[in-house]
This record gives sequence, structure tokens and C-alpha cells, in this order.
Amino acid sequence: MFEWLEYSSLSVWVGESLWGYPIMLSLHAIGLAIVVGIFTMFNFRVLGLFKSIEYSAFLDFFKLAWVGLLINAGSGFALFCSQATFYITNTPFLVKISSIFIGSILAFRIQSNLRLNAEKWDSKATEVTMEKIMASKKDYTSSNIKVLKGLEADVHARLFCGPGSKDHLYAQFSLLLWACAIFGGRLIAYL
Amino acid sequence: MAQNLIQLLEGSTLNIWVLSTAWLWPLLEILHFVGLSLLLGAMLVIDIRLAGFVQKMHIQRTHDLLPVAGIGFLINTLTGVLFFVGDPARYAINVGFQIKMLLVLIAGLNALWFAIKINPEMHRWDPYADTNIAAKTVAYVSLVAWFGVLLLGRLIPYVSTG
Repeated sequence: MFEWLEYSSLSVWVGESLWGYPIMLSLHAIGLAIVVGIFTMFNFRVLGLFKSIEYSAFLDFFKLAWVGLLINAGSGFALFCSQATFYITNTPFLVKISSIFIGSILAFRIQSNLRLNAEKWDSKATEVTMEKIMASKKDYTSSNIKVLKGLEADVHARLFCGPGSKDHLYAQFSLLLWACAIFGGRLIAYL
Repeated sequence: MAQNLIQLLEGSTLNIWVLSTAWLWPLLEILHFVGLSLLLGAMLVIDIRLAGFVQKMHIQRTHDLLPVAGIGFLINTLTGVLFFVGDPARYAINVGFQIKMLLVLIAGLNALWFAIKINPEMHRWDPYADTNIAAKTVAYVSLVAWFGVLLLGRLIPYVSTG
């Protein structure tokens, strides 16, 4: 099957024409920057690197990221075809393609979570309430501090509805997977 | 000028180190790609908002992403310098590389223009509205320049020397 792919007209064009290969590589680099760039910025946001940007705005950027992924699926397929029998036995390529596969499914999960929670995560009212409670802390004596701490945690859980530990875990995994994709992709030419 | 630079760098300690360390080149390439993802990812979000899209995003707050872009640029400057020192004869006379550096310069001047002319008046803007023509111009110049840098970088092995 992979030999047949190598002799298809697409792979002959990519492999043998003057511009086929560089055009596909260029598209692949642009797609990479869009996909990894946008998902990375969102993951950084979830992990608290910059706290002020609206979560809901990222829903629009995710659409662009999927366009980027489509560009790379297309250009990647063309590049794969030109040397299918080489790629399919190349370990870095297999690492890369599995990272992208899992990374995309995870990104889809992250997007579904974002759709459900963006409004809640963005809501300013809850943060203001939290700040008020924190500010009132200084009015209490040390004997009450224990009670207050319990109350604080409870209020925090109820009112401060930012991304939870599951969201943080997703973001960390997502960053790791896109890094692995780059790592594998770059090593294809070396191993 | 290019020839003098090549002569100066070839045989230097750093040149020999880059060439003789087997794992270094692929490692630098990986870092260069990570850096480009940070730089272009951050610039994409900032410039798309500056161009007037995604108006539900507070425009001034997109500047929180600038440190990420800065770190990406720093990573790529450092790794890029090592590429150049490692193989000066290849890069210095490569038209793709020369245009790439020109585009980095244009992107830099564009950012400077933004910092001097547009940024000081930004606090007066409605943070959730469309942007003016000057801002849009800066945004599109930035996007074209940075994606041009990416494109030319990728094409260095495929363009002829000048």
C-alpha cells in the first residue's frame, strides 16, 4: 500500500518537481506555527501565565487552529506520500504522528470544555466577591482565622470558577504533546 | 562584506564547537521551532485583535502576550546565531536568508513604530471595538513580515545563492 502511494501522481509531483516539495514544506511550517502557536497560547492562559485575556475569545482562535491543522494534514499527507515507505518505519515520524493524533483529540476535548465553561471562567463578578472576602480577612482576630480559612476554601470552590485541576492537566499534556510533535518532526531527517 | 564575515567565523572556537558537536544541530533546530511557535503564536493573537477581529477580547490585555513573543524571539536569535556561526558560508550568501533578515528588520521597525506612535494612545480606545486604519496597517505588516520570516527560513535550502 505504501509503495503504491509512492508512485501516485501526487507523490511524484511532490518528490520530483522543482517546487512541489518546498511548497509543501512551507505550507507545513505555516500550519505548524498556527496550530502549535494558538494551542500553546491557550494552554499558557489556562496555566495562569497571563491572567487577563478572555477565555471566550480563544474559541475564535481555536477555529483558526483547526484550519491550521487541516493545512498540515494536507501538506503532511503530500510529504508523506513522496517517501511513504521511509516514513512508515521511521521512529521519529511515528512519535510525531501519534503525538499529533492524541494532541488533536485532546485539543478537541479542551475546546468542548472551553465551550461549556468560557463564560463562567470569564465572569468578573465571582472574582470581585472573592476579593472582598480576602479583604475582610484583616478584620478578624487570630482565633477566628481557622474558621475563616475553611470559609475561604469553601467560597473559593463555589465562587471562583476558573479552570480546575483537570483543565490544568489537559493543558500540561497538550503542551507536552505539541512539543513531542516538533521534537519528532525535526528528528525525522536525522535518524 | 559577506566574504569577510565568513573568513572571520570559519575556524573560530564557536564555529568548531557547533560543527563538532553531533547532537547540537538537531537540538538547535528543535529549539528554533519551539521558539517560532511561541513568537508566531503570540503575534498571531496580538495582530489579529489589532487588525480588528475577535472584538470580545480586550485589546490592551493582548499585550500580556508580549513577553511570550519576546522569549520566542530570544530563543530564535540565540539558536539562529549559532546556526550562522556554525555554517557562515551557507547562510551569508543565501538570498533566502538575506530576505529573511530583512523581514526581521521590517518587523522590528514596525514594532518600534507601534510602540512610539500607536501604543501611547491605546488607553483611550474602546477595548472592545474595531481598530483604526493605522493600527490595522501595523497588524498586517507584522503578520506578513513574521510569516514571511517563517517561509523564507524554511526555504533557505531551496533558494539559490546570490
